[in-house]
Amino acid sequence: MKKRGRGIACMWYPIGFTVTANPSAAVVKVNEDGTATVLTGTVETGQGSLTVIGQIAAEELGIATDDVHVVSADTDTTPMDTGAIASRTTYVTGNAVRLAAAKAKEILFQVAAPMLGVKPDQLEACHRRILVKNYPQRSIGIGEVANHAQFVLGQPALGSASFNPSTVALDPQTGQGKPFATYVYATQIADVLVDDETGEVQVLRVVASHDCGVPINPMLVEGQIEGGISMGVGFALQEEMLFDSKGLQRNPNLTNYIMPTSLDMPEIEVDIVSNYEPTGPFGAKGVGEPTAVPTAAAIINAIYNAVGARVYSLPATPEKVLAAIKAKKAQSLQKPKPKRTAAR
Amino acid sequence: MTNRTKPVRAKPSSASRARSPGDDVTQRSNDPNQNTVPNARQLTPAVGQRATRPDGRLHGLGQTQYIDDLSFPGMLFCKIKRAGIASARIVRIDTRQAEAMPGVMAVITGKDIPVNSFGPSIKDQPVLASEQVFHAGDGVAAVAAVTEQIALEALDRIKVEYEPLPAVFDPFEAMTDGAPLVHPPSSNIYATKLIKKGDVESGFRDAYRIFENTYSTQMVEHVPIEPHCSIASWDANGRLTIHSTLGRITLGRADMARTLQMPINRIRIVATIVGGNFGGKNEITQEPVLAVLSRKTGRPVKGTFTRTEEFIATTTRHPITMHYKTGVSKEGKLLARQVRLVLDGGAYCSWSETTLGKACILSPGPYNIDNVYAEAFVVYTNKTMTGAMRGFGAPQVCFAYESQMDEIAEALNIDPLEIRLRNAFTEGSSSPTGQVLHSVVVRDTLMQAAQRFGWKGTES
Repeated sequence: MKKRGRGIACMWYPIGFTVTANPSAAVVKVNEDGTATVLTGTVETGQGSLTVIGQIAAEELGIATDDVHVVSADTDTTPMDTGAIASRTTYVTGNAVRLAAAKAKEILFQVAAPMLGVKPDQLEACHRRILVKNYPQRSIGIGEVANHAQFVLGQPALGSASFNPSTVALDPQTGQGKPFATYVYATQIADVLVDDETGEVQVLRVVASHDCGVPINPMLVEGQIEGGISMGVGFALQEEMLFDSKGLQRNPNLTNYIMPTSLDMPEIEVDIVSNYEPTGPFGAKGVGEPTAVPTAAAIINAIYNAVGARVYSLPATPEKVLAAIKAKKAQSLQKPKPKRTAAR
Repeated sequence: MTNRTKPVRAKPSSASRARSPGDDVTQRSNDPNQNTVPNARQLTPAVGQRATRPDGRLHGLGQTQYIDDLSFPGMLFCKIKRAGIASARIVRIDTRQAEAMPGVMAVITGKDIPVNSFGPSIKDQPVLASEQVFHAGDGVAAVAAVTEQIALEALDRIKVEYEPLPAVFDPFEAMTDGAPLVHPPSSNIYATKLIKKGDVESGFRDAYRIFENTYSTQMVEHVPIEPHCSIASWDANGRLTIHSTLGRITLGRADMARTLQMPINRIRIVATIVGGNFGGKNEITQEPVLAVLSRKTGRPVKGTFTRTEEFIATTTRHPITMHYKTGVSKEGKLLARQVRLVLDGGAYCSWSETTLGKACILSPGPYNIDNVYAEAFVVYTNKTMTGAMRGFGAPQVCFAYESQMDEIAEALNIDPLEIRLRNAFTEGSSSPTGQVLHSVVVRDTLMQAAQRFGWKGTES
């Protein structure tokens, strides 16, 4: 008989390296038409990081995403970057890009101030214009300012900067310290169907509520969450590298190493929790890795909720789930009320 | 079938930042659909927009150029001979027959790599195993040939004589006295971590009940769609260019400089869009081999891993055995938690120290617990190396702490959501390492997920 169950799991996850320095550097060049070019040493790994970096630069400069071209992934032309690891790109590279853009913007403001008859600190940039704060009627196009800066004043608007998260080394005896600048939080709830005769588990639905600070691009956050859940489903139920007694892998291929396909994917509901991280670029933290963290735990708890049997080792293959169901039945025949846990 | 909500931007916006109807934000648009589909890439402010990716269109049209799509004139193909034995001394490698094959341009072994070791913390991994084999996926020789087929055929003609050595595959066995040492004279336990806060024993004494259990996880692969691929080429000034699927080019360049004994400014690493990384493309694998083959032949050399090599010769996720002992009050408040983690570290360290540290720090869960004792060990075994993978140990420990949370909830007859809310971090909570936490919204995620799911008792 197929039985339905639900399981919840929450988690915390840090942004960036554990104490170790993990800087990013960036260069932002404002072109003479008001578009911009960002140089970053990070590499797009399919998650949309270059889009996010472009949006951060655009926000700081007051232009649109499409106005920013991001050059990446060439050690000859781009500044150093610790890379797309540890869910750090939005926070660390993003902060470096934001700081570099702010420096380029400073030049634009110095140039625009006399053009608008105010001081540089009275200016702000948005909607592709440089405006007088609280008097937006007085404004000038960023392209016009950038062109004036470069060709009339001979002062091209560009900036470079770097960022490294603030941490405190851990005490070697107690492990006390501040290993990370910030953390993100999430909860996932899984709705599963368990066949108590075969041990087969079908994940019907996962509700995923994630914190990433301010989502720079909600669509890309959703994409990360959906991808992370597919990885979590594989980790929970299917994937396992097997070795024989001589240490040779038995299933080093996609015929026998079973991964989730689109047919194994649950319905996913994504929910981004409202938050603001003061040390992040425009309040952002990150989201990459955490999306794959709580899925397996939620599914295993849902299996227990469905059939009353707990799986203690991943993956919860049909064989293991069935064995857990049988063990529970055998136990309940012996004792009227079984307890796995020791009472004092 | 994804339901999407537009998140509320928490950032306060000043009046002049709000979008006004008069803004001509599409003036530069070339998109023919701009009149019917609002183009988020054209909107300001840029942050918060559902901007499409510039690489999306190329992916959709099949125009994205991955490294394996690149080809250079005169390019050769590299294949690496894998040991196929988990622990052995290499007695001799005879490459003569392979070298004599028409179409084979060069054959190298570990002796041809200037500095034949690498690793992000412990440099315990040979580029090509030359004295000893530490796991079955180790490369022992490499061929550059005019076609992949010839290179593959040449691998069969390389004769390697092995003297089998004792091997250990189980981390607990590897921790015992007298177990075969994977990297003698080093201990098999190659890194440890300890987090200590409060006094767990007093916490256990005060506890209404104590829960104790062991949880374990398996080894998994990143399985990116795109396997590892690189192309090495030299110019006449002695500069090396590597086109690579590497995700971390700054680190990769440093590793290349070290293994080849070259100044960093003579090395250029160019990547494109990585076809999936998940932590598996964080460090060099075959790149020094390709560089040496390319220098030897004077021609560009490409190496593309097969799917099997992805499994046997690249990093994987650490299997972890996790022992949890937790003391709770009658109300389900966590009073003390003791955690012991044993990570199967495979044949090489790779990113194990990072994984060990994060797993240990995160292992108590996102909960206020005054008394914590978490210790972690990572152990060499003669298996495929474990390294960086999405979450660095967090999915493993989350499975353990959240499983135990439900066990506690059931035994105390508390709803699983409620017990989490009673213990979850709040703004200003102190983490297991004593860090004061900010922008903490774990309760918000619990409540919002529960409401969205329709968790009993949270229906609004």
